[in-house]
Amino acid sequence: MSAFEGKQTRVGVGEFALRMRVTGVLAFIVLLGAVFAMLSPRFLNPQNLAIIASNAAILAIVAAAQAVVLLTRNLDVSVGSIMGFAAYLTADYAARHHGAGVAIIGLAMVLGTLLGVVNGLIVAYAAVSPLIATLGTMSLYRGATYLYAHGRDVTSNELPHWMLSAVDFRIVGLPALPLLSALVVVLIALFLRRFAFGRQIYAVGSNPEAAVYYGLRVKRVTLFAYAFSGLLCGFAGLLYAARVGTVTVVLASGWELSSLAAAVIGGVSVAGGSGTVIGAALGALILASIDNGLVLLSVQEFWRMFIQGTAIVAAVAVDTLIGAQIRASLVSRRFGGVRA
Amino acid sequence: MNARTSVCEFALNVVGIEKAYGRTRVLSDVSFGVKKGSVHALVGENGAGKSTLVKIITGVIESDAGEVRLNNSFVRFKTPTEARAAGVAAVYQDPKLFPHLDVSENIFMGAFPMTAWGGLDRRTMRERASATLRQLGVNLDLSSLVAGLSMAELQFVEIARALCHDLQILILDEPTSSLTPAESGRLFQIIARLKAEGKSILFISHRLEEVEAICDEVTILRDGRHVATRETKSLNRAALVQLMVGRPLEAMYEKRVATRAGREALRVERLGLQGVFADVSFTLRAGEIVGMAGLVGAGRSEIAQALVGMNPPTEGRVTLNGKIVTPKNPGQMLREGLAYLPEDRDGQGLITAESVVDNVTLPIIGTLAHLGLIDRDRGRRLAEEAVGTYKIKATGVDQIVSTLSGGNRQKVAFAKWLATEPSVLILDEPTHGVDVGSKAQIHKIIAELADKGLAVLVISSDLLEVLAISERILVVAEGRLVAEFSREEGTQEAIMMAATAKLEVADVGV
Amino acid sequence: MSARAIWRPTAWEAMLVVLIFAAAAWSATLSPYYLQIDQLLYSTRNFVIPGLLAFGLMVVVTTGEIDISVASTLAVASVALSKFAAVGAPIAVAALLAVALAATLGALNGFFVARLGLPSLAVTLGTMGAYRGLAFIIGGGMGYTSFNDPYLYVGTELWFGVVPASLILFAVVAAGVGFLMHKTTFGRRCFAVGMNKTAAWISGVNVDRLKITAYALAGVLAGVAGLVWIGQYGSARGDNADGMILFVVTAVVLGGVDINGGRGTVLGVVLALLLLGTLRNGMGLANIAGPTQTVVFGALLLIGVLRPFVAGLAQRWRTPPSDPFSRRDDTEQTSESNSITNNITRRSAL
Repeated sequence: MSAFEGKQTRVGVGEFALRMRVTGVLAFIVLLGAVFAMLSPRFLNPQNLAIIASNAAILAIVAAAQAVVLLTRNLDVSVGSIMGFAAYLTADYAARHHGAGVAIIGLAMVLGTLLGVVNGLIVAYAAVSPLIATLGTMSLYRGATYLYAHGRDVTSNELPHWMLSAVDFRIVGLPALPLLSALVVVLIALFLRRFAFGRQIYAVGSNPEAAVYYGLRVKRVTLFAYAFSGLLCGFAGLLYAARVGTVTVVLASGWELSSLAAAVIGGVSVAGGSGTVIGAALGALILASIDNGLVLLSVQEFWRMFIQGTAIVAAVAVDTLIGAQIRASLVSRRFGGVRA
Repeated sequence: MNARTSVCEFALNVVGIEKAYGRTRVLSDVSFGVKKGSVHALVGENGAGKSTLVKIITGVIESDAGEVRLNNSFVRFKTPTEARAAGVAAVYQDPKLFPHLDVSENIFMGAFPMTAWGGLDRRTMRERASATLRQLGVNLDLSSLVAGLSMAELQFVEIARALCHDLQILILDEPTSSLTPAESGRLFQIIARLKAEGKSILFISHRLEEVEAICDEVTILRDGRHVATRETKSLNRAALVQLMVGRPLEAMYEKRVATRAGREALRVERLGLQGVFADVSFTLRAGEIVGMAGLVGAGRSEIAQALVGMNPPTEGRVTLNGKIVTPKNPGQMLREGLAYLPEDRDGQGLITAESVVDNVTLPIIGTLAHLGLIDRDRGRRLAEEAVGTYKIKATGVDQIVSTLSGGNRQKVAFAKWLATEPSVLILDEPTHGVDVGSKAQIHKIIAELADKGLAVLVISSDLLEVLAISERILVVAEGRLVAEFSREEGTQEAIMMAATAKLEVADVGV
Repeated sequence: MSARAIWRPTAWEAMLVVLIFAAAAWSATLSPYYLQIDQLLYSTRNFVIPGLLAFGLMVVVTTGEIDISVASTLAVASVALSKFAAVGAPIAVAALLAVALAATLGALNGFFVARLGLPSLAVTLGTMGAYRGLAFIIGGGMGYTSFNDPYLYVGTELWFGVVPASLILFAVVAAGVGFLMHKTTFGRRCFAVGMNKTAAWISGVNVDRLKITAYALAGVLAGVAGLVWIGQYGSARGDNADGMILFVVTAVVLGGVDINGGRGTVLGVVLALLLLGTLRNGMGLANIAGPTQTVVFGALLLIGVLRPFVAGLAQRWRTPPSDPFSRRDDTEQTSESNSITNNITRRSAL
C-alpha cells in the first residue's frame, strides 16, 4: 500500500503546482513590486505604474499569442516578423488612405492570420519542426517587409491622427491600451475555456496520442493555433505601430524572445497542454516591471536580455520538474507491484 | 436458435475471425459470443491472440476474414472512435486521458454538449458526468485535474467516459494489474452495477481468481484458436489451466541435452526494486540454461533490467563471477560481463535504421579502435564472421537492419551482445515475433552458447520453449519468485498454476 | 558507413556541388574580378565564421538535440578577448582562456539538457538570451576596436600571400570534425544516440557524458569563431553575430543533416556552407540588400527542411519494391506498441 500512497502524494503535488501556476506568478509580481518599491520610491508612482502597464500591454497580447501555440506543443519564433509585416503594410495603407478608418484594423488582422496560416501549414501538414519552420518564415516575413518598404519608413506625420491618439486615449483616467489588452487576453482565455476548439488546443498538447485516439483533428487544431496567433500578432503589430508612431522595417525584432520569456515565466509549459494566457499576460507584466525597475535603478539595459534568458531557463526547469511528475502519473505500472 | 433469440441473447459476436501477419497466423477461425448483461472473460497465455482480437473488435486493425456482430448486426469499425460511437469501448492499461484537463472535460472530449451559441455546455456536462459517476458509485470532484488522480480513478474516468456515450459493451484489458486490492474491489462493484443495467463486459485478465469470482462465462484462446467457451462455474482451476495450455507435448522443440554445469556465474540474493518486485534470489551456473516463466506483468523483465542496471535495484546483492557488483547502468554491467537482450528488440535492442555492421560493433566500438580511430576492417570482419556463425540471411553486412526479417534481426541482436564476450547472458523473449524455422535456429544458438560456458537466463512466455531448452525453470508471479522446477518436474500446467497462483485476495463482493 | 548513408546523401551532395557551380557562375557574370584567385579566396570570409558555428551545431544535432545559443557564445568569447586585449595579454593565453570560457558555457547547456533533462530547444533559447546578455554586460555598450596585430592574425593574415589564415583554420577544423564524426568512436556513438537513445544506452554508451561533450565542443568552436570574428572585423561588441543563427541552421539543414538526429555528413555541411557563402557573396556583388539576402536564406532553410516531405510525397507515387528479406511478421506484441508515441515525441523535439 505504501508504494501507492507515496505515488498519490507525488501526483498531488503535481496537480497542486499546476493549479498554483497563476497564483504563483501573481505572488511573484507582488514580491517583485515590493522589492523594486523598496529600492526605488518612484516605482509605485501611479504614472510609473501606468507606463509599466502600457509597455506590458502589447507584449501581453503577443505573449498570449505565443501561449496559444505553446499549448499545442509547438512554438513560433516568427511573431516579431508577423507584427512587423502587418504593422508596416497597414500603416503604409493608412498613410495613403486617411479616410480608411477602423477598417484597417481588420487589414492588420487578416495579414497576420495569413502569415500564421502559412506557419501552420508548414508545421502541421508538412511535419516540419516548429523551430525550423518559424525560423525560416521569420526571415521570409521580415524580408518581405523590407521588399515592400523599399527602404522607407512610415513616419508618424503620415499616419492618420486618430490612430496615433487612440493609443493615448484614457478611460476614467486609466490608459486605454492596457485595458484593451486585458480585454483581449480575457476574451482569449474565455475562448480557450468555453469552446470545444479551445479545449482541443489543450488536449492536443497535453497528450497527442490520446488526441489521435479520440479522433481529434490534430493537424487542424495546430493550424488553427498558428493562424490565431498570427491574427493576434497582426493586431498587436498595429497597436505597436500606433504607439511608436514611426513605423520602421525592423519593428518588433526581438519580440520572439520576449514573448516566449513572458509566456514561460507566466507558467505556460513548452511541453504543451498546460498554462493560461492570463499567466502569459502576467508574465509580460513581470518583464515590463523588471525593465522599468532596471531603468529606475539606473542599471544598464544589458541586464535585461540576461534576465530574460535566465528566467526562461529557470521557468523551463520548474516546468520540466512538474511535467515529469505528471507524466509519471499516467504511465501504468505493468504489474500490481509488491504489496508487502 | 431463431433470429429473435439470438438478437436478445448476444450483445457481441465474433464469427470466424482470421488474422495473419505475413507468415504468422495470429487468429484462426475464432468464434464466440458475449451474452447481454454478462461478464465474459477472455483468457489465454501471452501470445494467444487476445489483444489482436480486441483491436479487431474496436476497429484499430482489420481482420483478414470473419465478422464482428453487434446485437446480431454486422459491424466493421474503422477507428476506435467509430466503435465508441456504436457503444463498444475499450479501457486499456495505459490511460488515454489528458492530464491537464479536468474530469468532466476528459469524459466529454471530442463530443462536447454545446449551448446555443456554440460554447461548451458545462452545466449539462456536470450533470451528466456526475450522474454517470453516481451510477458507477464513484466519488470524484469533476473539476479536479486528471493529473491528480490515482491509477484506479483514471480507469473509472475512462469507464465513465465510455458510459456517457451509450455504452453497450465494455472491454477491460488487464484492468486490475495496476490496482491495489481495495481498488480492484471497487472496480468489481462498478462491473456489477454495469451488469445490473444490462451492459456487457468483456474482461481480459491473467488473474484467474478474479475470473473465477466475477465472470459468468469464460472463453479460452490458445495459439490463436478458440478452445472453449464455458460457464466459469463449471470449471475448476486445474481444468481451466489445462484448457489454456494443454497441448500435446510433441517434440515441437528439440530438447537440449544437458551438460555438466560449471562454476557459479551469477548469484542474486534477495533482490528488490521498490514497488516492483522483492525478495528474488537465484543462481546461474556457467553452461546452464535457466528459464524464467510467468505472466506478462509479473515482473520478469523488470528483474532482468534491474540486474543489468537499467533500473537499479533498491535492495539485495548481486555477485557476478565471484565479484560483488552494484548495478548502476547498462554500460557498467556490460563491462562486468553481463549482457541483456531486451524484449523490445526493435525499439531497444537494435538501432534498426542502421546497418548490420554498425549494430554489431556498437557495444564494443571502444575495443575496435586505436586512440579513438575506428578500425573499420576489423569491425567488418567481425560482422561478417557473425553473419556466418549465426547464419544471418542478409545481402551483406551493410544491409539496413530494418529490412531484415524478425528472425534475422534477432540473430543480429545476438551477434551484437555476444561480441562483448559476456559470461552471463539474459535473453528477454528471444523468439518473440520470429518464424518457426528461425526459432529452431535460435534455440540451437542458445544451446551452443551454453555449451561454450555461458550462463544463460531465458525469459519466455512460450511454455513449450521454456520446457525444451531449460534445465531449470523459475516462475515469477506478482513480483516474487514463486516456484522453481527442474526439467523433469516441469509441465505446462504446473508452470501455469504457479504463475497464476493468487497471492492476495481481492475484495470481490459481486 | 551504412549503405543508406552512402547513396542518399551523395545524391544530395552532388546537387549541392552543382548549385555551387551555378552560384559561382552567376557571381562571375556579376563581376569580372570574381574568378581571380585572390578574390575567390577573400570571398571565403563569408562562410568561415558561420561555418565554425555550423560544425558545432552539427555535432549537437547529430545526438538528437539542438543548440541555438552558439552565436551568443561567440559574442561572449569575442568580448572576453577584448578584455584580455585591453590588459595587454598575449594572444595565446587570451585565446585559450576565451575558448575555455566558451567551452564552459557550452558544457552548461549540456548539463541542463543531459543531466537535468530539460528540453534542448527551450533551454538554448533561454541561454541564447542569457549569454547574449552576458556578452553585453561584459563588453559594455561601446565596441572595442583597438586590437593589436596578434589578435587580428587569424582574420587578416594571408599565407603564401593569398590564402587567408581563417580559411586554413576552417579547413583544419572541417577535417577535424569530419574525422571526429565519421571515423572515431565518439562520432559513431553520437550517431547511435541520435538514432535511438535508449538502444545506444543499453549498448553501453554513456549518453549524458556524450551530450555534454557535444555541447562543450560546440562551445569550443563558438569560442574559436569569436577569435576569427575579431580578426575579420577588428571589433568586439555584445551584438556580434546577432542573427547569425539563421545562416548557421540553414547550413546544417541544407547540408542534409537530419534535425532529429542520427544522420548527416560533415561534407554535406561544408558544401552547404560553400553554397551559402557563394550566394551571399554573389548577392553582395549584385547589390542585393541585406534584408533580401535574409529572405533568400529563409527560403533555402524551408526548402532544405521540406525536402523529406517532398521526397515522401514522391515515394508514395511509386510502389515499394518487394524485398526477399523484408520483414512481414508483426506478431502480437507483448509490450505495448509505441510507434505513434515515438513519432510524436520524436518530432516535437523541443
